[in-house]
Amino acid sequence: MTEPSTAPPRPNRRLRQRLDRLATGVIAASGIGVVVAVLAIGVYLTLAVLPLFDGAEVDIDAAPSAADDGAIHAVWLADDGTRWLTRDGHLRDAEGEIATLTTDTTIASVAESGKTQPLALGLGNGEVRLVPRDDSGRLRWAQASTMRLFEARGVVALTLRHAAQGWVLAGRDTQGKVAALWHTGEATRRLLVPETAEHIALGHAGRLAMTQGTQLTLWQLSPDGGGKALARTETQAPVTALGFLQGGRTLIVGDAQGGLRRWRLSPDATGWQVAETSYTALGDAAIRRLIALPRQRLWLALDDSGRLGLYQSLSGQRWQGQAPEATPPPAVSINAQGTQVMWLDATGALQRLAIEAPHAAVSPATLWMPLTYEGHSDAQWRWAAAVTGDEEPQYSLVPLAWGTLKAAAWAMVFAVPLALGAAVHSACYMSRRQRARLKPAIELMEALPGVVIGFVAGLFVAPFVERHLAGTLALFVCVPLGSVACGWLWRMLSRRWGPRLPPISAGVGLMVPLALLCWAALSLSPWLEAWWFGGDLRAWMHQQWGWDYAQRNALIVGMAMGLAIIPTLYSLAEEALSGVPRPLAEGSLALGATRAQTLWRVQLPAAAPGILSAVMIGAGRAVGETMIVLMVTGNTPLMSPSLFEGLRSLAANLAIELPEAAVGGTHYRLLLLGALLLFVFTFVVNTLAEMVRWRLKRRYRRYGGDA
Amino acid sequence: MNIPRLGGDGVWRWLSGACVALSLLAVVALLVLVVTRGLAHFWPADIEQLTLDDGQRIAGIARGSAAGEERYFTANRDLDGQVWRWVETQAIVTRETPPALLYAERRDWGSFIGRLTAVETPAGERLQGAEAERRLRRALAGDAEVATLYVRNVEGRELKVAFAQVASIAWPNRMDVGDKLAAWGHGVWRFLSEAPSDGNTAGGVWPAIFGTLLMVMLMSLVVTPFGVLAALYLNEVARQGPLTRLVRIAVRNLAGVPSIVYGVFGLGVFVYGLGGRLDSWFFAERLPSPTFGTGGLLWASLTLALLTLPVVIVATEEGLARVPVALREGSLALGATRFETLRRVVVPMALPSMLTGVILAVARAAGEVAPLMLVGVAKLAPEIPVDGEFPYLHLDSKFMHLGYHLFDLGFASRDTEAAMPLVFATATLLVLVIVVLNLTAIILRHHLRARHRALEHS
Repeated sequence: MTEPSTAPPRPNRRLRQRLDRLATGVIAASGIGVVVAVLAIGVYLTLAVLPLFDGAEVDIDAAPSAADDGAIHAVWLADDGTRWLTRDGHLRDAEGEIATLTTDTTIASVAESGKTQPLALGLGNGEVRLVPRDDSGRLRWAQASTMRLFEARGVVALTLRHAAQGWVLAGRDTQGKVAALWHTGEATRRLLVPETAEHIALGHAGRLAMTQGTQLTLWQLSPDGGGKALARTETQAPVTALGFLQGGRTLIVGDAQGGLRRWRLSPDATGWQVAETSYTALGDAAIRRLIALPRQRLWLALDDSGRLGLYQSLSGQRWQGQAPEATPPPAVSINAQGTQVMWLDATGALQRLAIEAPHAAVSPATLWMPLTYEGHSDAQWRWAAAVTGDEEPQYSLVPLAWGTLKAAAWAMVFAVPLALGAAVHSACYMSRRQRARLKPAIELMEALPGVVIGFVAGLFVAPFVERHLAGTLALFVCVPLGSVACGWLWRMLSRRWGPRLPPISAGVGLMVPLALLCWAALSLSPWLEAWWFGGDLRAWMHQQWGWDYAQRNALIVGMAMGLAIIPTLYSLAEEALSGVPRPLAEGSLALGATRAQTLWRVQLPAAAPGILSAVMIGAGRAVGETMIVLMVTGNTPLMSPSLFEGLRSLAANLAIELPEAAVGGTHYRLLLLGALLLFVFTFVVNTLAEMVRWRLKRRYRRYGGDA
Repeated sequence: MNIPRLGGDGVWRWLSGACVALSLLAVVALLVLVVTRGLAHFWPADIEQLTLDDGQRIAGIARGSAAGEERYFTANRDLDGQVWRWVETQAIVTRETPPALLYAERRDWGSFIGRLTAVETPAGERLQGAEAERRLRRALAGDAEVATLYVRNVEGRELKVAFAQVASIAWPNRMDVGDKLAAWGHGVWRFLSEAPSDGNTAGGVWPAIFGTLLMVMLMSLVVTPFGVLAALYLNEVARQGPLTRLVRIAVRNLAGVPSIVYGVFGLGVFVYGLGGRLDSWFFAERLPSPTFGTGGLLWASLTLALLTLPVVIVATEEGLARVPVALREGSLALGATRFETLRRVVVPMALPSMLTGVILAVARAAGEVAPLMLVGVAKLAPEIPVDGEFPYLHLDSKFMHLGYHLFDLGFASRDTEAAMPLVFATATLLVLVIVVLNLTAIILRHHLRARHRALEHS
């Protein structure tokens, strides 16, 4: 090596410096990256959830119209452009005439029901013309057929809905007479309703709502041409508009004072019930028109002063604005997605309403308040988001939150005493060597995958507990008593033989007696059950208290998830307890306190914040645990407080429903909202716990502890 | 007699002791249950032939009893339409174990219990009785050929089984302990090396083992550098202040975030976000069927890497904190830059703790199922994601995972009862893998601490 003083400057010095700076930069960047990763999870979830709470929007603009003479009666949004139907029966598109539907009469009314059922045109001579659709929903104008609804007078109002194997149609003539047609595939039957009406609307399964003044009547039509009145009610004000929502189970009634009310068809076909609340009114002008949109149970209401409102069946008013024209449109057409409405006013001008309300069914009220859903008679919290067809989705997060908290609470009931007891024992009563041996065992326990614990609990423990319920419950009494009895016995023995007994710790020494005790309790339980509960505790519980027993229930999930969070709780609590500065405990003992007194009065209070943070972190784990809950609870979103019934947690719900949910849809975003709730909960709890721990450590250091 | 006082110190000591005992007992019971059931599955149990008081004959393997009834696994789903029979103990007139009863596992229709009546060679020659059995044994050993087996259940109903359908045949009632041990070993080997069959209710778990290993390897490739770098930042580079405290809290928070939330994040960001983008850039010709825009190996590995990041960071930090400051200062005093000190002195000393962290991360990932359900695990993917076709490793393919296989077998399979032994066997394997990994980590850490203690004292 050369002398340092004569050596030229080392050529790689700058390189080394640069390398150093580069490495520092990379390391710092990845450190910051961790923070970014945490934030990214929260930010991503928030961004994905926010659109749920965007307001609804209805944009109105003028659309080009082929109207030149004001004779246009109806308009359709087809896949390949708009079609116009003139009052005198001509069908046109932008290029010119496509077909002539009728020559000898006029078109007086139009009705359609989704894009699978035919289009019905009420004619001025009392006939109905039906235009069928092909498989892709396109109208087949050339194959239109005609049926007679009234003898001579024109069909001024028409309503149509699909029914079993076919469709039902009801019409009203110029004098208010009402008649219906029920088509079942092979035959079409006609029925004359012996009442007059001002407004009619057809609901699900042939239910026909009719109003005359303030009288609201519900008729049940039947496929064979019969019919009977199911119920009659008086409304508060004369009804001026009527409409069934998607699915045909909810009737919206608009009255002359601007009131908007919801009526539900009750599940048992006997009448209906009025909803608890009416909707926010547009104003005090009479409601002139109600337009049900084909998706999300959305509907538009128009009143006499030209106010237009967008409503959702459960979440209420979503938007209010001004209609293109105050007079009700003679014809509207809605596309299949329910995002566009073509609005043809009396002058023949065409307006396009773009409805931007992808998540209108979600509002704070629908998420957190009990609501009366279709097919139910009272307000409840329900979750049933994955629905098919026209079923009403139930978007309340409350049952899931309830299930999550219930499972976590029962897990804590099992885990907290056991884990804290174990921590106290190992911190206060075990030697250093015993503790060092226990620690790996607990670590192994922590490593047990949830899926293994869940499967043993779900497939083995759950059926076992179902058969030995009394024995299992007896264990909760036997084990504490038995262990105290063992201790007493041990003292007796050690008085007698003292030094000849092997020096074993209570923790390990109790394993064999407790195992025997459990075995004894379980094998004696049939007799116990026979003596006290007439042989079957489950039947007895049902009889006495009306408790149902589900095989996979909160008791099992409490035990299984308790086992899963014991190690976490134990490690943190033990850390807190053994970190209590030694002089504190020694001083207490030196002043003559017993060990139990020292434990309760000195060690536990000193470690209380640490134990609290352990409990918080344990609760965070219990709330987010997925597999155990998924496998051990029947995953039914119930709101029952019972220990013996199932539940569904937010986390398990994600695992079940997220793979199937359509990306970007309301259901998908609601599931992400569930994930966000879990994230926020654990984030807050963990941060709080971490702060508590940090403060505690600082305090210990001040008292001269070693932690 | 002097009765000791029951109270004060004693009660709490023994009650808290009971907590330790009960926790340990629960874990031991769980492990013993899983392992014994799992390993017993491969033991060729004797087949009993029962004659009931109504003259009916049943052959099956006893599997538990309850309330005066015994349960038998009778196999022969294609003949009986069921594989389980509950028999009243009182109704059983005789119990025998005829040596001629055989137990065959078939690739379809599950297992068969009955007697061999004849075999047919590919040449059409039909052999009966003892000769048939000799021929069949030779065929099973690969020395002869057999085309079809003619078998009969205990009630005398005949069945024709193609030899290619047969996965294994045994005559358990004739086996001595040595034979049974050999058969047990063979069964375990087949379980580990074969793909699932018969709608996941039979066969082995090889694709699941391979999928788990591959996923975990990819994950460690990602998580190791990032975890170690983040720990180095926290411990070596950053000034200890509010920012590092924030990062530490962030790490703790990452560890506390429910695993399913990582799955949601992986699904939204990796699968739909990144994957969808990749698809529209590079695989547009295959759209709308997604290539990377659906769950797969790569996204699962990345998601689990994010999930296990805190494990690696915490373990590495612990190791770094134990490196004596004197060593660092010595290195810096001799003129080394900070990077050189890290590379030559600090990191080599903390290497075992990093390894511990990675092993713990691997153990965690091997047992984690919930996020995988969202980002790419498959119910059945018998093709492993590595083959001879370019690019050899198919990062976009779905894969099987032991933990998910366990869930699927136990909760989504056609016949949960029949799959139960297999569930226990899979669980045993999973527990074994995780216990071995964790024990390695624990032992490693133990040695490490001992070494550091020695270093501090020297």
